[in-house]
Amino acid sequence: MPARRLRTLAVATLAPLLAVVTGCSTAAAPAAEAAGEPRSGGALTWAVETEPITLNPHQYAQAKARLLVWNTFESLLTYDKQGKLVPWLATGWQAAPDGLSYTLTLRDGVTFTDGTPLDATAVKTNIDKLREPGYAPGVAAVQLRNLKAVEVVDPRTVRLSLTTPDVLILDFLASPQGAQVSPKSLREAKNLKAGGVDVVGTGPFVLDRYVPGQELHYRRNPGYDWAPPTAAHNGPAHLDEITYRFLKESAVRVGALTSRQVQLVEGVPATDQPLVTANRTLRLTRELNSGSAYSYYFNTSHAPFDDLRVRQAFREAVDVDTVLRSVYRDTATRAWSVISPSSPLYDKSLEGGYGGDAAKANALLDQAGWAARDADGFRVRDGRRLTVRLVQAAPYVRDRRDVLAQAVQAAVKQSAGIDLKIALVDQGTATQAFERNAYEVFDNSRADTDAGAALNLLLHSKGGINRTRANDPRIDQLLESGQGTAEETKRAGIYAQLQQRVVAEQALVLPLYAPADQIAASTSVGGVRFEPTAGVPASAYDLWIGR
Amino acid sequence: MFSSPLRAAARRLAAGLVVLWAAATAAYLALLVAPGDTVDTIVGDGADTPQIRAEIIAEWSLDRPAVVQYLDYLRRLAGGDLGRSYLLQRPVVEVIGEQLAPTLTLALAAAGLGVLLAVVLAVATAGNRRPWLRRASSGAELLLVSTPPFLIGIVLLSVLSFRFGLFPVSGDRGVGALVLPAVTLALPIAGLLAQVLRDGLDRALDEPFVLTARSRGVRERTVLLRHALRHALLPAVTLAGWLFGILLGGAVIVEQVFGRPGLGQVTLTAVTGKDMPVVLAVVTLSAAVYVAVNTIADLTYLLVDPRLRRS
Repeated sequence: MPARRLRTLAVATLAPLLAVVTGCSTAAAPAAEAAGEPRSGGALTWAVETEPITLNPHQYAQAKARLLVWNTFESLLTYDKQGKLVPWLATGWQAAPDGLSYTLTLRDGVTFTDGTPLDATAVKTNIDKLREPGYAPGVAAVQLRNLKAVEVVDPRTVRLSLTTPDVLILDFLASPQGAQVSPKSLREAKNLKAGGVDVVGTGPFVLDRYVPGQELHYRRNPGYDWAPPTAAHNGPAHLDEITYRFLKESAVRVGALTSRQVQLVEGVPATDQPLVTANRTLRLTRELNSGSAYSYYFNTSHAPFDDLRVRQAFREAVDVDTVLRSVYRDTATRAWSVISPSSPLYDKSLEGGYGGDAAKANALLDQAGWAARDADGFRVRDGRRLTVRLVQAAPYVRDRRDVLAQAVQAAVKQSAGIDLKIALVDQGTATQAFERNAYEVFDNSRADTDAGAALNLLLHSKGGINRTRANDPRIDQLLESGQGTAEETKRAGIYAQLQQRVVAEQALVLPLYAPADQIAASTSVGGVRFEPTAGVPASAYDLWIGR
Repeated sequence: MFSSPLRAAARRLAAGLVVLWAAATAAYLALLVAPGDTVDTIVGDGADTPQIRAEIIAEWSLDRPAVVQYLDYLRRLAGGDLGRSYLLQRPVVEVIGEQLAPTLTLALAAAGLGVLLAVVLAVATAGNRRPWLRRASSGAELLLVSTPPFLIGIVLLSVLSFRFGLFPVSGDRGVGALVLPAVTLALPIAGLLAQVLRDGLDRALDEPFVLTARSRGVRERTVLLRHALRHALLPAVTLAGWLFGILLGGAVIVEQVFGRPGLGQVTLTAVTGKDMPVVLAVVTLSAAVYVAVNTIADLTYLLVDPRLRRS
């Protein structure tokens, strides 16, 4: 896409200019006081990168929109810092001994902001709505796959019965898709799937203005009194109002922050981080996302990656640390497993186990029959070059993953003579390549709170995004028992075996980095934090403006 | 019998409708042959199972033959129904309707400013009166025409908004927020238009009628503004269609940089997301405006050039 290249070029040209212009304006400013004690009142403006496609949490599909969801909507459960489920709109849950049903008790006195009380019937209405054909096919087919029925036991108790044990149903209850929408909105909203001011929840804020392409505006819900245990305070939110302005260009977001037109921004790429860290009135915080790490998945269904040695060789040919440093300076966290290092299911023992050994890569390729080289220095076998294709869908490329691919391309060429061809294409072309099996490398990261949910899609032979095309009964069996096991240590053990199988033994993936989110904020803003476990910016509930 | 102007108007209208139909059809075909189908687009990079696909197909009736879908689309279009956006799940009329005003404001402000700047520059530098000013202006115009609007926007922002805080960075909030986007969009327009105008002025100044006017003792300013400028305007008016194209294309980038709502953003999202109903509506709308702009341009010829009125 030429416009894209143009933009990159323009940013590259301008970075020094911006540094001069904005840098000197802020260096002279006096250091602000720390935000001090929490206090009530005031309005903030937050510049965000992504305008949500939908404001209906049931339709949620963008991790970048998660901070907006929790302003107006809430789920029955949520996660604490250690990745443990804790109550929110539900006060507790009880699993049946056979794992085939979950009984949840609901909190008393919770009302939607349209006055409707939250009771067992409302919860049932929400889940039944999700299973209605054509409403949320992705949720019905994946998260609610094993749900048999929802039953109202009494006004405060609801029971979910399953067709097979599935601990991920609890993850669903803690997810944006499982957030509770007022039954009145579900009945009457003008554009229910798009959401908007007429689709309301129980959250600490009320959405009162949406200007597409420009901003979202929320005001405080004065009656709010049911914060989750993970929040820093109770009762209504500190802020009177908060505005989220959509600014897609990172340089513009940071410029708006340094010139004090906004008080918070999210999404600060490596190139812009020095502008923030050099400024004493601003503070940069970052946190790793949960879910799966950003990895290259090798297509094992045909040559050359049907050969384990070639997959291992590709991994050995890349010095991941060097590649990450060249693209992200020192802001990226290397991933060693298909699971993000921030997840409780992460297997630390994989660290340092592979990678960055060019001699080993070359030896492996020689053994695999790719010993000869052509005029360009690429390896060949039976007259065919060792070419592997990476297909990236441009609309979903973030974190400069296209540039990262170029760095990997150079590395594998130089150290092992592998020809990595990168195609940056539109979504349709990419999907077509995947369906026609015309790719060898697939890149992906998923921000699911429970990494198991991501791995089910990516690694199970029948998974919705199984682009390794691996059909390994052992992997399937581990995934299934992981989904059916509630006991935590046992479950972590299963996923550790799974990671050993996928990463160490089978070399199905090359994990690259753990996706992270950044918040840059004025030091006068207090309560800036990330959502526990998910690792994305939290809602505005705990934010306050200091003196 | 119709009188001749009425018939001309009817012919014009019919031709306009044909252009609209052709534009809508071409866009429809382009999206049809583009790789991947609508279901792929709606699935996106999320989970992809046969069950999910079946539900999407059922929801949007995508199992009908392409011809049937096309005819159904035309039938609904004729009835003024633009359909529902695949991605945004809202009626297209609503999606486009709420974004129309900000884009129109921006386009009119940019076009007005661009034309004004171009006329001032061209009139001030035509002929051989001030060679140094002419060279400087010509160089600046070339620079503006060849600089991507993205760059102009970022430079203006970082200096006037981030550094000196004169204008707000974003949004559609009053005149202050309109200045930078409008200037960004107007500068390349002014650059090219000034070149064309000056060229026209130079040629007109060489014509015998200018000599006649001068010999009658008409002042130089009057010669320029009353006689030469009218001649020079003709080729510039022809550029009206081009101007419209630049405005729409530039709006995509300017709206993105300045976080302004508008059709440009909608178009970009819709095209990258292959959101057929929105793309088709934007194309049809653009074609309609294009037809209108060119009709106005044709009428302007008559106004500018008395010779055309006689024929």
